[in-house]
Amino acid sequence: MTDKVFLKKDWVEALKAARDSFRIFVPVRDGDFHNFHSLEDWTIPNFDFFNTRLSPKSIVYPQSERIFECLNDPEDPGKGILKEAPKDYPPQAIVGIRPCDAHAFHIVKKNFEGPEYRDPWWMQRFESTVLVGLGCNAPCPTCFCTSVGGGPFHEEYLDAILFDLGDRYLARGLTEKGGEFISKMNGGSSADEKSIKEAKGLVAEAEKKVVSRLPFDKIGEKEVTGLFNAPFWEEAAFSCINCGTCTFLCPTCWCFDIQDEVSGRQVDRIRNWDTCMSPLFTLEGSGHNPRDKKFQRFRQRFMHKLKYYPDKYKNGVQCSGCGRCVRYCPVNIDIRTIAGLMNEF
Amino acid sequence: MNEWQPKITTFLCNWCSYGAADLAGVSRFQYPPFFRIIRVPCSARISPKFILAAFRHGSDGVWISGCHPGDCHYLEGNYYARRKFAMLKGLLEHIGIEPGRLNFSWISSAEATKFAETAKIVADQVKALGPARYFIKKRAEVA
Amino acid sequence: MKEYTEKIRETAKSLLKEGKVDIFIGYRKGTVPMMNEPFAVSDPDKTDLLYWDSNCGMNLCNYLTKRTDRIGIIANGCNSRNIVTHIIENQIKREQLYILGIPCTGMIDPRAVRRAVKYREITDVEESNGRVIVKGDGFEETFEKKDVLQKNCAECLHRNPVIYDELVAEKVPEQEGIETFRDVKKIEAMGSDERWGFFTRMISSCIRCYACRNACPLCYCTTCFVDEAQPQWVGKSNDPTDTMTFHILRAFHCAGRCTDCGACERACPMGINVRQFTKKLNKDALELFSWEAGMREDRRPPMDVYKVDDYNDFIR
Ligand code: SF4
Ligand code: SF4
Ligand code: SF4
Repeated sequence: MTDKVFLKKDWVEALKAARDSFRIFVPVRDGDFHNFHSLEDWTIPNFDFFNTRLSPKSIVYPQSERIFECLNDPEDPGKGILKEAPKDYPPQAIVGIRPCDAHAFHIVKKNFEGPEYRDPWWMQRFESTVLVGLGCNAPCPTCFCTSVGGGPFHEEYLDAILFDLGDRYLARGLTEKGGEFISKMNGGSSADEKSIKEAKGLVAEAEKKVVSRLPFDKIGEKEVTGLFNAPFWEEAAFSCINCGTCTFLCPTCWCFDIQDEVSGRQVDRIRNWDTCMSPLFTLEGSGHNPRDKKFQRFRQRFMHKLKYYPDKYKNGVQCSGCGRCVRYCPVNIDIRTIAGLMNEF
Repeated sequence: MNEWQPKITTFLCNWCSYGAADLAGVSRFQYPPFFRIIRVPCSARISPKFILAAFRHGSDGVWISGCHPGDCHYLEGNYYARRKFAMLKGLLEHIGIEPGRLNFSWISSAEATKFAETAKIVADQVKALGPARYFIKKRAEVA
Repeated sequence: MKEYTEKIRETAKSLLKEGKVDIFIGYRKGTVPMMNEPFAVSDPDKTDLLYWDSNCGMNLCNYLTKRTDRIGIIANGCNSRNIVTHIIENQIKREQLYILGIPCTGMIDPRAVRRAVKYREITDVEESNGRVIVKGDGFEETFEKKDVLQKNCAECLHRNPVIYDELVAEKVPEQEGIETFRDVKKIEAMGSDERWGFFTRMISSCIRCYACRNACPLCYCTTCFVDEAQPQWVGKSNDPTDTMTFHILRAFHCAGRCTDCGACERACPMGINVRQFTKKLNKDALELFSWEAGMREDRRPPMDVYKVDDYNDFIR
C-alpha cells in the first residue's frame, strides 16, 4: 500500500471528509488530560498528547451498555421476555490510538471470542472499528510496551499508522480496512522518499526511549499454586485501597457485571464494567466471599494479568505496557514492581 | 383540568404529623391533593437515601414532618433528625435543588389546621417551581 | 524534609526494636514523581525505606481500621485529626497508637505541577527551601512550593498535629488570613440552575472507580451504600443521576467528619474536585454546630449529638 502525506494544517479537514463513511474518534483535550471523543463539527482534536487518560476501550466496550430490554406491561404479549436491545454497528475509526492500546484490543479479544463463546456486542463493535494508530515519538518513562510484545510504532495490531513528522503526518495503510480509511480522507499526496526515510528514523529513535521493563520472563515456568500462596502478597498489597482506578483505566481489563434495572414498565439489562478490586465482584448469594480480603483481590489482578492469562491463552501477558495504572494509581502500586516480586519468587 | 399537578412525596411520623393528617381528614379540612404520604415511625427514621430516592423517581417536592422538638415519641429522635436535615438541605440546595422543593415541618397530632395550612404552603411553593427538572432518573442513560 | 525523614526512620527503628509497637506506618518513596506509597514496616532493619516529603498526600488513617496490634504512625495536621475521628468513632484505641507528629507545610499538587510545566513529561521533582524543582526531558523549572500546593493545603488552618506522642520537629506557624471557604461562597452566590450546571459538569467525567471513597479514611463501612442490593439506592451504571447520587451520599456520609485532608481529590484519576461537596458540609458544620472535625477527643461528632436550641429556622 502506498504511503500518503498530509500537512498538519489540512489534517482535521482531511479527517472530516472520512466522516461520510466512518464515525471517527479523535483525542480531545479535556481539562488536564486527553480523551477520545467523537469527531463532530465542534470538536477540536488535539494530537499533541502522550496518551489519553482513559484508554479507548470504551469505544468498543462501553462502561455501561444496555444489552437486553423488555416491557413489563400486562398488555404486552412479550411481557417479561427480554429481547436483545436494538443496536447498529456502523463503521467507526479510532484515529490517534497508541500502538499499546491497539495491542490491548488484541489481548482482550481472546476473552470475547473463544472457541465456545463469542460476545456479540464486543465482537460486532470491534469488527466495525478501524484502528488508525499514531506512533509515539516520545514514549513516557512509564511506558513498557517493548517488553510485552509491542513497541512505540508497533504495527501488528493496527489497521493504519501515522507518523508525526513535525509539520505533516505520514499515513500508512496496514490492512485493507486501514487502506480504505485513508482513501476516504481528503487530500494528501503520495509520500516522498524523504518522508518515508524520516518516518523510519522515528521508529528506531522511539524504541530506544522505552527504557522501562516489565519483568515476567520466569513467571511462566512457576507453579501456579506456589505463586498464589507466595508470602509477599499481603505485604505488597498493604497500601492498596481497592479502588477501581487501575482496572477502569486499563485497556486490557475486561471484567463486567450485569444488572437489571426497572424504571416504570421499562426493564433493562445493563452490562457495566466491574473491577476485581471490589469485594462485591466475588460476593456470592450465600454471603460467602472467596476474595474477602484486600490482598486476595489485589493478588487476583496481578495473577490474572501475569499468570492465568498467559497460561490459558499462550498469548503473552494481559498487559500492553501503557503505564496508566502506574501513573494514576493513587497509592503508587506499580505493576512493574509486583511483576518483579512474582518473577523473583 | 389539564393543569399540571405536582407529585410531592411526604414522610410523616407515625405519632404526630400522621395523626395530624388523619385528623385533618376526619375534620374535612381542605388541602391540596398532591401528597403521596409515607408513614414512618419517627422523623429520625428518614434516611437521606429516602429523600434522594424520592427525587430520583421524579417527585417534584418532598415534605417531611415530625413531632415538635421535645415531643418525640422516642424522646430525642427529631433532635437528631433536625441536624441531619439541616446538613442535607444545605448540601442539596448547594448543588442546585431549588429551595422550596425540600420542606420540613413540626406538626403535632392535634394540629390538623397547621397540617392543612402547611400542605397548602408546600403545594404552592412546589407548584410555583414547576415540574422537577434535575436529579431524576427516568431510565438509565447508557450506551 | 531530610531531617524529617531521618527522624522518622530513627523513631520507627527504636520503637520497633524496643517492642513498643508491632508495626510502623509511614510512606516510602514512590516509583513515579510526586507519588509516595503508604508503607508499613515491622522489621527494624527496614526502617530506612521510610521517607517523607511533600508528596505524602494519601491519608494513612485508611490503614488503621480493623487493626488490633500496636501501631506507630506518622501524622501531620489533617491525618492527626483523622486519628482523633477514628478514636471517637471507636475504630482504633488511643493506647494502640504511638503517634509521631509532623508539623506540615502542605503537599504538592501533581496536577498543579503538570499544569505549571505545560504538561511536559516530568521525570523528577525535588524540593529545597520551600521551592520545588521540576525536571523533565530537556527542561528544569523551579516553583515556589506555595504556588503548587494542593488546594486543601493552601486553605489549611491546622498544619500541626492535634494529637501526638512526639513531634519530628518544632511546630510550624499556622497560616493566617486564609479564606477557607472561598470556593463554597462562590457557588453560594450562584442561582440553582447555575449550581446544578456546575456540579453536573464537574462530575461528568466520573468513572465511578470509587478511588475518592476508598482513599478517604472515613469510609470504612463494611458494606457501602453503593453496594447495597435490596433496596438498591444507586444504580451501578454510569448514568448521570446515579453518579450524582453516589457523590451526594458519599459526601453526606462525611458530614461533620471530614478533615479536608484532600486525599479524595488527590486520588481521583479524572481530576474531579470532589471536595466541592464536602467543603460545603464542613462550612455548614462550622456555622451551624461550631464544629471542626477531629480537633478534640472528648467531644462527640455533630451528627451524633444535638442541642435543644439547634438551628430550627428551616422547619415550619
Ligand atoms: S496493566 Fe497497567 S500498564 Fe498494563 S495495560 Fe493495564 S493499565 Fe496499562
Ligand atoms: S472526604 Fe476527602 S478531604 Fe474529607 S476526610 Fe475524606 S478524603 Fe479527606
Ligand atoms: S475518584 Fe474520581 S472518577 Fe473515581 S469515583 Fe471518585 S470522582 Fe469518580
